[in-house]
Amino acid sequence: MKKLLSLALALVMLAGLAAVPAGAEELKELNTYETQARELETWNIHYSQAAADLNVLCNLIDGLLTNDNHGNLKLNAAKSYESPDGGKTWIFTINEGMTWFDKEGEVMADVKASDWATGLEWVLNYAKNDSYNVSMPAEMIVGANDYYEYTKNLTETEGAEAAKALDTSNEEFAKVGITVDDAAGTITYSLVDSLPYFPSVATYNCLYPLSADMIDEIGVDGYRDITWEDMWYSGAYTISYYEYQNQKVFTKSPNYWNDANCKRFDKVTVKMVESVATGYQLFKEGQLDHISLDQATLQDIYNGTADAEYKPNLVEARPTKYSYQMHLVYAKNLDDGVTPDVNWNTAVANENFRKSLYYGLDLTNYFARTNSINPLSCQNFCYTGNGVSFLSDGTDYTQLVRNELGLQYDSEKYARLNAEAAAEYKAKAMEELTAKGVTFPVQVEYYISGASTVAAETAKVLENIFRDCLGDDYVQLVTKTYTNLANEVRKPRKASFFINGWGADFADPINFLGQETYNDPQAYYSNNYSICNENDDPDLIAAYQEFTDLVVAAKAITDDMDARYAAFAKAEACMLNHALVIPCSYEVSWELTKVNNYSKVYSMYGMQAYRYVDWETSTEPYTTEQMAALAAAYAAE
Amino acid sequence: MVKYILKRLFRSVVTILLVVCIVFFLMRLMPTDYFFTEDELMKFTDQQKYAKLERLGVMSICPDCHGSGKLDSGEACQTCMAHSTTSVGTGYVDRSIFSQLGDFFYNLFEMRVYNAKGKEIKTIDPVNLWKYLGDTKVFEGKLKDGYQVKLAFNLGKSIRLEKGQYVTDVIANKMGVSMSIGLVSLIISLILGVVLGVLQARYKDGIFDHIGTGYTVLVNAVPHLVIYTIIMIGGAAIFSLPMRYDATAAEPWKTMVLPIVCLSIGSTAGYMLWTRRYMVDELNKDYIRLAKLKGLSDRKVMFRHVLKNAFVPLAQYLPYSILLTVGGSLLVERFFAVPGMGPELTNAISRYDLNLVQGIVLLYATMGIFGVFLGDLLMTIIDPRIKLTGKEGVR
Repeated sequence: MKKLLSLALALVMLAGLAAVPAGAEELKELNTYETQARELETWNIHYSQAAADLNVLCNLIDGLLTNDNHGNLKLNAAKSYESPDGGKTWIFTINEGMTWFDKEGEVMADVKASDWATGLEWVLNYAKNDSYNVSMPAEMIVGANDYYEYTKNLTETEGAEAAKALDTSNEEFAKVGITVDDAAGTITYSLVDSLPYFPSVATYNCLYPLSADMIDEIGVDGYRDITWEDMWYSGAYTISYYEYQNQKVFTKSPNYWNDANCKRFDKVTVKMVESVATGYQLFKEGQLDHISLDQATLQDIYNGTADAEYKPNLVEARPTKYSYQMHLVYAKNLDDGVTPDVNWNTAVANENFRKSLYYGLDLTNYFARTNSINPLSCQNFCYTGNGVSFLSDGTDYTQLVRNELGLQYDSEKYARLNAEAAAEYKAKAMEELTAKGVTFPVQVEYYISGASTVAAETAKVLENIFRDCLGDDYVQLVTKTYTNLANEVRKPRKASFFINGWGADFADPINFLGQETYNDPQAYYSNNYSICNENDDPDLIAAYQEFTDLVVAAKAITDDMDARYAAFAKAEACMLNHALVIPCSYEVSWELTKVNNYSKVYSMYGMQAYRYVDWETSTEPYTTEQMAALAAAYAAE
Repeated sequence: MVKYILKRLFRSVVTILLVVCIVFFLMRLMPTDYFFTEDELMKFTDQQKYAKLERLGVMSICPDCHGSGKLDSGEACQTCMAHSTTSVGTGYVDRSIFSQLGDFFYNLFEMRVYNAKGKEIKTIDPVNLWKYLGDTKVFEGKLKDGYQVKLAFNLGKSIRLEKGQYVTDVIANKMGVSMSIGLVSLIISLILGVVLGVLQARYKDGIFDHIGTGYTVLVNAVPHLVIYTIIMIGGAAIFSLPMRYDATAAEPWKTMVLPIVCLSIGSTAGYMLWTRRYMVDELNKDYIRLAKLKGLSDRKVMFRHVLKNAFVPLAQYLPYSILLTVGGSLLVERFFAVPGMGPELTNAISRYDLNLVQGIVLLYATMGIFGVFLGDLLMTIIDPRIKLTGKEGVR
């Protein structure tokens, strides 16, 4: 049997090797793109929370750890890491010979262990980093929250300049759980609790290094508004050219410490394009090496109505790290932004009403807006994203959740749809809510950007789904537009629901479920979107409390990861069974590419996915079959 | 004439100052929420918002409690209680809009010191310049070798679009790109437009005139984006021209061809239309009939008399058009990813990049006003009958 398995594995791997286009060579320079709407906003890696920034910056500065193409943790600036006490203390030892250099590659200083302390001080300092990226270290590292509060208090009592003048040598920072030894190259983090997933946090920017020498040179305000021309680099690439809304050119760093052990492009050019349609034209002209297709182009190629020669090269992309959810708003206001929308708030607090949405909405046509060939690739039944956490036997954590829910993905039909159950919940909801004075149809207000025609078309699809699946005697989806989401919609609470994608920052379900807990100031979605803390319906509160208690209990399990994940799965299933949030979709698009998607860093958490390191490429676009063979080989690894 | 020019110059400067002040006040009348990103708006505490507004010069640290919100006696500071939701002051007070305006003009005269490598090492208030130079080794009787002190014309730094970059640098970089494309396009369209317009007028109601009119109608009737798309795809497929601007390309001029063609298409039609119209007007005048009766050749009539007179109104807008090439084209530049001035103002307004908006408005106002002024002067040169001063025939 073993021989047979080995033979099968070898065959699959051979198929993978054979899948590299015949005669095609690897690309020495990569031409990629971003749409102009996704332009970088800051070069300060500690300050940024936006993917558009971090996708660039992760190439310019090396963190302690990174991910491989399977999402496993991989050593980077750290040459080793360990926990001597089962997860409460983590010791990272950094490589020798790492340097900071400027954009020309001129060495500015050595990378030292103390640079990680400088970076942490920056992140925790209220006056320096405006509380950006502070929540994870503040929650996890001993004394970190106290230091953050100290700098906040100092800012408020003595002014921002006093707090900005602090560095790692101050007494208060000495109480933070980080000790560094420059001679030995060790960084030791002391955590508030045993956190087995902490190394995954070390891939994220909140634990990135910062050179104290650079701060001495350019000052605190200089680093806050740092530009690519002044920043110090330590990563695989430097920026050799940047023109806002035009292009960024990454050039292989000449002094990169890890040159011998990684494969890099000589040059990566990120071209800003007005739309993916323009990008497609560039791909056709050979000016881009991959392009994600909009639905019109995809359909044209697929149906052979235009550019049919590309049909053999159509490749379904791997899902992005974002798990999209329909976040119901429990304390919505009317159009004036002040008066509570009692009708909606009463309806949404009713579990039968929520479940009628949960089971009744057939989102297939909605998925087709992202993936018209294979819409069910986008279906999502869980809150936590796929591939974030794995059990000791390699099972994905979300499989536990789906087991708890009794729901499995089906490539033929949208398995969550249960029209009968939805009709029952609808009937019950109408009866209960009529008694409470709710009038039907309940108006569901959905807001989209007024500038986006794509969003308008998608909203029309959603309107049809609501009408066709639940009936316009019951609910009526009304699409409205905004120019500024926060000011016009979120703050005045005018939407009935939002569709948001959450991408994890580290590899543990708490990073997802912790955003939804009840009466928790750290819960991002509870406080900023669903506003569940302000609805006083006892059943709703009880449901939220039950879920929150389960999350707290699961979070306390730190010695047995399988037990921890099983407990989280129960909590997540509880949230979904009460339909407090409705899982919606994944982003799975189609593309034409000269890049082996299975060779790229692939992580469903963190910020490492856009590192242009160790990519396998071809000068010819991969065919569908070649990519399928690569996928099979990858799965067999 | 000199007196008139000085008067117009003075009026132009006053108008520019007025425009700048109005925009300055309007931008600051907007709610301060627009200074923050969506994330910041939801996440920042009031204190953090005030701190950011202080960095942007919209608020200042309370002079009575020095930012603490409490007086030395321990009592709450009443000076900064205005926006406070607690029992102590915020530590920040609103800055008077006039004080902000004063700073804006004062900072224009900020000086910057650059070292021998051209790296900025210090910015100095103009009033402190001599003190600074005296205190440092930069200046020992004369500036150290290679060191330079320059007037910064500081319009502040971009706060969103190109965070941390001086507005003057952002504008200077983009202006050059827009101007290079705009000027070439202007020259092409002016030559083509005028020549074709003359031919249309010369052969009025002939086949050439009909084709020219058809072209003008077509260019104005078809949405520009459709025309640009056709040009982009056609240019790439037939002539292998790059579809987007790329200053780093081996032959950067090639990447400018399609944007220039797109820009020229519309303005050529404009020059054709107006040249034809002015020339036809002139052709119907008595002096032309007289010239023909006197036996002057058609060619002489057309070029010596008709074109010369018809060109006067076109010439008036020429300096204006040249100067406004710095403004770029929103559509063309966005379409071909040209890093020029075109989309900058709308981007800056939508992202509330206050300093950048202010800088661009200042530039556009200056160019616009001086463009009109120079146009008037040019007219008097081309047609000496036109007087800008005096009581009769004054424009």
